Amino acid sequence: MSDPAQLYDAILTGNAKQAEEVTNAALAAGVNPTELLGNYMIPAMDEVGKRFECNEYFVPELLIAARAMKTALQILTPKLAEAGTEAAGRVVIGTVQGDLHDIGKNLVASMLEGGGFEVVDLGVDVPASRFVEAAQEKNGTIVALSALLTTTMTQMKAVIEALEAAGLRGATKVMVGGAPITQQYADEIGADGYSDNASAAVALARNLVK
Amino acid sequence: MAIEGLTVIGESINDSVPSTKKLFDAGDIEGILELARLQDNGGAAYIDVNVGARPAEFMADMVRKVQQVTAKPLSIDTPDPEIAKAGLEAYDPDRAGGADPILNSISALRLEMFDLLSIRRFKPILLVSEQVIDGKSGACHTAEETYRAALVLAERARQGGLANGDLIIDPGIAPIGTDSEGNLARLIGAMELIHNDANLAGVHMSVGLSNFTVMLPAKTASGAPLKSSLESAFLTKAMPLGLDMVIGSVRRKYEILEADQPAVQCLEDCIQQGGFESIMRVRDFYS
Repeated sequence: MSDPAQLYDAILTGNAKQAEEVTNAALAAGVNPTELLGNYMIPAMDEVGKRFECNEYFVPELLIAARAMKTALQILTPKLAEAGTEAAGRVVIGTVQGDLHDIGKNLVASMLEGGGFEVVDLGVDVPASRFVEAAQEKNGTIVALSALLTTTMTQMKAVIEALEAAGLRGATKVMVGGAPITQQYADEIGADGYSDNASAAVALARNLVK
Repeated sequence: MAIEGLTVIGESINDSVPSTKKLFDAGDIEGILELARLQDNGGAAYIDVNVGARPAEFMADMVRKVQQVTAKPLSIDTPDPEIAKAGLEAYDPDRAGGADPILNSISALRLEMFDLLSIRRFKPILLVSEQVIDGKSGACHTAEETYRAALVLAERARQGGLANGDLIIDPGIAPIGTDSEGNLARLIGAMELIHNDANLAGVHMSVGLSNFTVMLPAKTASGAPLKSSLESAFLTKAMPLGLDMVIGSVRRKYEILEADQPAVQCLEDCIQQGGFESIMRVRDFYS
């Protein structure tokens, strides 16, 4: 049989086919799905993030690794639910109203999924009310907002205000990102965190759910 | 950097360029003006000016100051109608040999920016990668949608008194390193449709070329420059389809490549394959 440790390499190198095969084989051999996730898959994605931080990996490698991770996760998710293993957290993500840019948002969503988060992707041009509705569905949700235009970044503040008005701000963390966004802007609008890349966004989300 | 028939709009004075943002944040206007001079001397035909979310009056001030150091016409770059208005009002065509400025950009989501033609004549960049249909806005996912968005915006521009030769159609270029949804094939297909439409004869076509290679390493594993080769491969493919302008860098060595160059083959494979295969093809190209 194949060694479950191969799953680490399959994700690190972005080999989705191998990730699928090793996952299936490991489950058939009775390997605990929670261990598979915690011992091989999440560490592989963490290593991908590290390599990205030191310019050894670039965005294509992130995407390819995240896809391999996703392939394995799809097989694993029902088993994890049976075993009662919870996701690292729940993130509702979207590009704010009036803005149709989705590349950065999709990248962050992929990396968060790869980091073990349950990700609800609301898409682009998302009104504040939709973020509120999605945050309402579960306590402790992180709302992740993307904007690429100076004319739409102000919508991030509108989302935070809508969460406050709905009485959800205490139980909901808000993280923001996108080309015109800075830490200073995040602070000004009262966001809980800012990241300038998809890899660091995973670390940020983990901090926010601590 | 010169390719015959290719007009370069110098991209450097842009708040989303980190090194330029530092200059803006530090109030280093002389540093900004040096970027204008460098691009002018480097062969840029237009100097783009994007001040981010700073006040409209700041845009006006930058336009006046940049025009003091260059005789090249400017490209007023903002999605914000107020900032655009201030930039257009401050622009002095006499300082640019009578040339109209570019307004970068108008899309179906901000048609009201055509009203700015009452201030002065300008050449609009028409961003046709997004559309509004029955009040619902979205990205154009196919070549045909992109082409239809171009027809709509070109018609609106002509109603505003502009001729085809004043129009710069930008069909939207996406980073090749993230393109798992066939955006490159959409773009090439849209350019073909626009280029072959006699009613659009004389329009210019432009893309933000540096956007094509963002998020990729500067060099391949063997040490060869990566970005200039992929961007040149794109120009090699797109110029015969009517691309005659880019927002780009005067420092980049753009060239028309031979068909058997590896970068051209990589680009062709990405157009043909689409999906995740394209991203893997790009990774393999530089690894």
